[in-house]
Amino acid sequence: MYPRKIEKFLTKVQKPGRYTGGELNSIVKDKSKIDIRYAFCFPDTYEIGMSHLGMKILYSLVNAREDAWCERVFAPWVDMEQVMRENNIPLYALESGDALTEFDILGFTMQYELSNTNVLNMLDLAGIPVKSCDRKELTPIVIAGGTCVCNSEPMAEFFDITLPGDGEEVTNELIDLLKEYKAKGASKQEFLVAAAQIKGVYVPSLYDVEYNDDCTVKSVTPTCGAPEKVEKRNVADLDSMFAPESFVVPFLEVVHDRTTVEIFRGCIRGCRFCQAGFLNRPIREKSPETVEAQCRAICKNTGYDEISLCSLSTSDYKGLEKLIRNMLPWTVEEKINIALPSLRADNFPKELMEQLNAVRRSGLTFAPEAGTQRLRDVINKNITEEEVLSTARQAFSGGWTAVKLYFMIGLPTETEEDIQGIADLAQAVVDEYYKNENKPKGKSVAVSISVASLVPKPFTPFQWEPQDKPEVLIDKQNYLISCVKTRKVNVSRHVPWTSFLEGVFSRGDRRLGKVIETAWRKGCRFDGWEEHLDREKWMQSFEECGIDPFFYTARRREYDEVLPWDHMDYGVTKSFLIKENQKAHKGETTACCREKCAGCGAAKLNGGVCDEIR
Amino acid sequence: MKSVRLWFKKSGLAIYISHLDMNRCMTRAVRRAEIPLWYTEGFNPHPYMTFLMPLPLGQTGEREPLDIRIEEDMPFEEIKSRLNSVMPEGIEIVDVCEPVNKPNEIAAAEYNIEVGFLSDGEAEGFAAGAAAVIDGGVLNAEKRSKRGIKTVNLCEMVRSFECVSVGTSVKIKTVLAAGNSVNLNAELLMNALFAEFAAEPESFSVIRTKLLREDSSVFA
Repeated sequence: MYPRKIEKFLTKVQKPGRYTGGELNSIVKDKSKIDIRYAFCFPDTYEIGMSHLGMKILYSLVNAREDAWCERVFAPWVDMEQVMRENNIPLYALESGDALTEFDILGFTMQYELSNTNVLNMLDLAGIPVKSCDRKELTPIVIAGGTCVCNSEPMAEFFDITLPGDGEEVTNELIDLLKEYKAKGASKQEFLVAAAQIKGVYVPSLYDVEYNDDCTVKSVTPTCGAPEKVEKRNVADLDSMFAPESFVVPFLEVVHDRTTVEIFRGCIRGCRFCQAGFLNRPIREKSPETVEAQCRAICKNTGYDEISLCSLSTSDYKGLEKLIRNMLPWTVEEKINIALPSLRADNFPKELMEQLNAVRRSGLTFAPEAGTQRLRDVINKNITEEEVLSTARQAFSGGWTAVKLYFMIGLPTETEEDIQGIADLAQAVVDEYYKNENKPKGKSVAVSISVASLVPKPFTPFQWEPQDKPEVLIDKQNYLISCVKTRKVNVSRHVPWTSFLEGVFSRGDRRLGKVIETAWRKGCRFDGWEEHLDREKWMQSFEECGIDPFFYTARRREYDEVLPWDHMDYGVTKSFLIKENQKAHKGETTACCREKCAGCGAAKLNGGVCDEIR
Repeated sequence: MKSVRLWFKKSGLAIYISHLDMNRCMTRAVRRAEIPLWYTEGFNPHPYMTFLMPLPLGQTGEREPLDIRIEEDMPFEEIKSRLNSVMPEGIEIVDVCEPVNKPNEIAAAEYNIEVGFLSDGEAEGFAAGAAAVIDGGVLNAEKRSKRGIKTVNLCEMVRSFECVSVGTSVKIKTVLAAGNSVNLNAELLMNALFAEFAAEPESFSVIRTKLLREDSSVFA
């Protein structure tokens, strides 16, 4: 329930449903019977946050405890922020309407580098000091998880704790510890020192960072008994792992509004640019029976008519065919559509494909990522032009007339020829359509190509690579557009300044904390939203702080440089990443994990078990 | 296939659910309640569901009609109890029946409106002024329609208007034209009155109590 004070403003802001709470399946508890109040904070809008599976999992997980209550908080849109600031209404959680100052844990999920300023803004809107060292009390403790905490260094000044890896088990352990320390009246420092002993907990303030004269990191030294290397948390068994049986059902239309169930974690593919593929190793699969039971429960409790089976590469799920065969009868009966994101249609039975489309037909997408075979070998995207074309052929003969292709530019070793190759491949797909004798009469084909820019990320073989400067990317985008000769191919591109800032913060160090704070104080927020990204303010902030942003993006790092995230351990060894980087430059591919174990090292996190090592 | 008219109350937090969102919300509720909904038979099957008189954002509705079609018969009481067990806070099914009147028979709607001011004097002044303006028969305002913005005399769409002040608040009971051809949103009328007197109310709530036919009988 929102605070009374805000009621008269609700009809004045866009989409008041973002701020009212009260959705179906949202959980309200009696706060007098609660020991730990947990605010799950998503540093972006309601519509994006409510689409995020991690939030749904942790919301159910914390609320399954009798002694804790998890509520949701999203970044208010700029119109609401203004109302809140003008009327002294602190940022509140949707379930109770209570201000964030009344919570014990504020848990942010960091999915995207450009939500950094939103974190500061949300804390500030609640009247909470943004810096960890200025928050003297034990609570609220500000923690963060999600992809970006594989390198929390740029946000190290602001977060008390980050949780690299899977959150399912460590969240409960942290709540237990805080409950104990709160009961005995311990100080924040005492709690942080104890928390650092939990596997998968990183307390940035317990590590001293020294720099070399050239601004690279010299050393990172743990203090107060904190571990030398922080090993990410890994949930071993996905069948017994906590999974929600119900989702909060939003009234507003959100980005992904459907039943979403994970089918496995990790990826066997080893694409060299893909951070998620390396961060989430080793491979752990959920059984088809568990997946099906979870889908049924969520559909029943929400009324959703769409299920999305979620993973990094759906086709690689060993139980896929069995799962779909079991699910089709009841989903068709109940008019539920099954979406299989990132499915490779070429190795999936055609008859099942047709049945899947019996309810509602979804779009068709491929991600060749690069335009030539040479460059696809460099990035280890093991897909051939013939595979793309044969899948397109199959799709066109099945009646599709629109295809989306995803590419990247700014890849290591890229030349004009590779960019020309993107246009050529799109043209080849168009030609494939006209070769089909049964194509629908009078209908044209539409091939959309979406071109992203590579942002080299920590824990990938490209973590040492320079990133193209925005001007170079714009030239490459323009060159690509000049290569496209037909209106049947439509090119959409990304703003290179967004990729540039992402690049700075993804491979940044602690010196960037003051830049983030400066930019936020200048009014930067919602930087991931094109209309809000203020390039001038960011460049001014770098200058005022005496920091060259290109130090983080444009430079090739040496293999022996101490990287700001080297004290994090995601299982995959540095020597493996170096080997992969060298192979990339030689244009050599690495077979996928199912064909041959490449020895990445991640299995050690799971007691030597990886579902691909037999 | 059978047509069923649901009557629901929308109040509390639910008043901030927009009409489009209401559609999705009700479809899901009907699915959760496992009511055998009839689906259209097109390329993209969707459940048949029609809100007869969409309620503007921020207003309470005491008795709002929604027509659905079901595939096989189910007792009205069961439909009602199944739906109420899965409804989100603020939406309640108050009645289920067979449709009696045709949707285009809706001609007017009755509203209870409450406006809060800071002082008794402000409330008295506004109540007297508002009554006088409506009696006078002229209150022009810009009304947005599909064909663009035009200035209309709102009084022509006001069927009745009773207005009293009680302490710092003003209570209004009014019947306004409603339906496909002529329709007046209570909020538009009130904003025009606020503008007329440069009034800045502290609070303002609108409750639609019932829908009426041309002869003022209750739409059923």
